[in-house]
Amino acid sequence: MFPNFRLSMAWLHTWFGLVLGFVLMVVFFFGSLSVFDREIDRWAIPQSRFEPQPMPSFDRILLPVFKDMKPTPEAIEQARSRVDGPMAETFPVQRWGAYTTHRDPVLGLFSGHELPHAKNKDDSVFGTRTIDPRTGAALPDDHLKIGSQFFYPLHYSLHLEWKNLGYWIVGFAALAMMVALVSGVVMHRKIFRELFTFRPKKHTQRSALDLHNLTGVVALPFHFIFALSGLVIFGGIYFPVTHTQLEPLYELHEKHEAQETGLPHEKAGVPATLASVDAMVAEAQRRWAAKGMAGDVGFLAVQHVGDANAYVSVYRAGTDRVTLTGEGIHFKGSTGELIREDPPVTVVAGINNFLTGLHLQHFRHWLLRWLYVLGGLSGCVCIATGFLFFVEKRKRQHAKQAVSGARWVDAFAVTTVTGMLIATFSMLIGNRLLPTDLPARGTMEQYLFWGAWVLACAHAIWRTAPMGEARMSPAWAEQCWTAAALAVAAVLLNWVTTGDHLLRTIGSGYWPVAGVDLALLAAAALAVVAARRLRRRALGPSVQAKAARSPEVANA
Amino acid sequence: MATITASRLHIVARIAAGTVGSYAFTWGFIALGIGLLFAAGMPFHDAEALGYILGFIVLLVAFLWAFCAASLVRVWLVLAGGGALMAGAASLVQKALL
Repeated sequence: MFPNFRLSMAWLHTWFGLVLGFVLMVVFFFGSLSVFDREIDRWAIPQSRFEPQPMPSFDRILLPVFKDMKPTPEAIEQARSRVDGPMAETFPVQRWGAYTTHRDPVLGLFSGHELPHAKNKDDSVFGTRTIDPRTGAALPDDHLKIGSQFFYPLHYSLHLEWKNLGYWIVGFAALAMMVALVSGVVMHRKIFRELFTFRPKKHTQRSALDLHNLTGVVALPFHFIFALSGLVIFGGIYFPVTHTQLEPLYELHEKHEAQETGLPHEKAGVPATLASVDAMVAEAQRRWAAKGMAGDVGFLAVQHVGDANAYVSVYRAGTDRVTLTGEGIHFKGSTGELIREDPPVTVVAGINNFLTGLHLQHFRHWLLRWLYVLGGLSGCVCIATGFLFFVEKRKRQHAKQAVSGARWVDAFAVTTVTGMLIATFSMLIGNRLLPTDLPARGTMEQYLFWGAWVLACAHAIWRTAPMGEARMSPAWAEQCWTAAALAVAAVLLNWVTTGDHLLRTIGSGYWPVAGVDLALLAAAALAVVAARRLRRRALGPSVQAKAARSPEVANA
Repeated sequence: MATITASRLHIVARIAAGTVGSYAFTWGFIALGIGLLFAAGMPFHDAEALGYILGFIVLLVAFLWAFCAASLVRVWLVLAGGGALMAGAASLVQKALL
C-alpha cells in the first residue's frame, strides 16, 4: 500500500491511533481511577466510611445473610428469554461467595441459583448483597459504588453490555495501543533522546509532539504490558476457542480435573448440612501461616450448597505480592475435612498470574498504586497530545481549504479530555445532591454522567467555529473553567452533606475520603492553570510563544 | 503524512485483511496451540493461558504485517488460509484426544 515499511507504520499510527485514541482515553483515564476504586466508593457512600474489615465469621455473620439471599429482580428479568415457559417463583441455591480486599470496609456477597426450565441446563441466576461485616446489616442496593461498579467496569466494557460490544471495542483499542507503540517506535527511532526532550516554549505543534514522545517512551513498557495483560485477562471473550471449537476438549478436561482434585463437579442430590466454616477458615490460615504467608481471607465460597457434595473453598487475599494468588484450600462441606490444598503453580500459570496480578493490583503498596495512576495518566497525556499534534499539523491547511476534519477531531479531543472530567465531576456532585432515599439513585447518577458528557460534546462541537480561521477553539478554556468549578463544588458538597471536610479527614487520617478530595482539588488547580495559559495564548502571539500546552495535564 | 498511493477500496481491503484476516490467523494459532500443548501433557489451563499470551502477540504481528506486506493476495492467503489450516489441524488433534 505504501512505498516502504516506515510509511505504512506512520499511516497505521496516525489513523488507528486517532480513531481508537478516543476509546483509549476513556480506558486509560477510568483505568487510572480504578486504582482507587474502593476509595471512590467510600467517598460516594458515606455510610461505608469506616476502616477496612477482615472477612467476618461465616457461621455467625455470613450464614444468616446467605440463607436470606435471592436472585436480584434484574437478574430474573434478564433471564426471562433464557427459559421455556413461565419464570419460576423460587430458585434453589447452588453456591455462595464472599469477596473482600484489604481496602474494603464493606463486604460484597453473591449467590448463584438454579434457573428452573432453563434452555441451557447449566444456566443460573445471581443474587448480590453488600453488608457491613461488623453486624451483617445490608447496605441499600440502589446506592451505586461509583468507583468499583461504574468507573472500573467503564474502563473495560464502556457499559455497553449488549453482546459484549463494549469489551470488543476496548479489546480492539488495546490492539491499537500496541500497534501505536510499535509503529511509534519505528517512526521515531531516536528513542533515547526523546526521553529527555520537552520544549514547552516552542510552538504548540513541536511541544505537543515532544510531550507525546516523552510520555509514550517513558511509560512504554507500562502501556504495552497493560494493553497486553488486559487482552489476556479477557482472552476467553475475544477468542472463545475452548467454549466453541474446542468445547469437547474442555469438557474432557473438566471431568479429569474433578477426578484429580476430588472437588465434585456435580451435586450428589442428597441433602446434607454444613459443618462450621469458621473452623475450616482457621485450619486454612494455620496452613498458610506454616508456609510463612499473610493469612487474610480474600475469597470464600461454598459450592453445591445444602448437598452432600458441598465443598468450601478458602482463598488467600494477595496483599503481599504482585502476582494474582489464592493458595486455595478446599474442605468437605458436611464434615469440614480437608479435600485438597492447591499445588504450587506451574511456570506458565506463574507467568499468567503475574501478568493478571500486575493489571489487577491486589497488593498492599500505596506508592506502587500511585505509580499506576501516574502511568495511566501519562497514557492519557500521550493520547491527548497525539490529538493536539494531529490538529495543529492540519488546522491551517484545513482552514484554508475549508475542510472540517481538524475541527471535528478538535471537538472530540475536547470531549474526551475536559469533557470526560466534567462528566466525572458532575456524577460526584449528583451523588452528593440527590436525596439519600431516592429510588434508583444509582441510575440517576449514571444518567447525570452521560448527560453531562453529551452536553460537553455538544458544547465542544458548537464552539469550534474559530477553528475555521485556524484559531484555537474556546471550548478548551471554557471547559477547563467548568471542570475546575465542578471539582471544587464536589469537595464543598462532600463537606456540607457529610461534615467530612479535609481538616477532619486528614486529621483523623481517613485517607480514602481525604485522597479523593485532594485529587479533586489538584485537578481543579491544574484546570485553572491550563485555562489561564490558554487565555494568555489567545490574547497575543508574543505571549503565545511562552505558553505551554497544558489542557491535557488537567487530567491529573 | 505519507501521500496515499492506494485507492480507497484498497485501504478498506487492507483494513479488512488486518482485522478479519489476523483474527482468523490468531484463532487458528490459539486453537492449535492449546490442542498441541494439551496433547503434549501440559495442564489444560496452562495451555489456554500460554495460547492467549502468545496469541495476542501473534495477533499484533499479523495485524502489522497485513499493512506493510506488498501483496494483498498473499496477506489474505497466509492469514485466512493459515488460520483455517491451523484451526482444522486443531480439530484433528481434538478428535485424536477424545
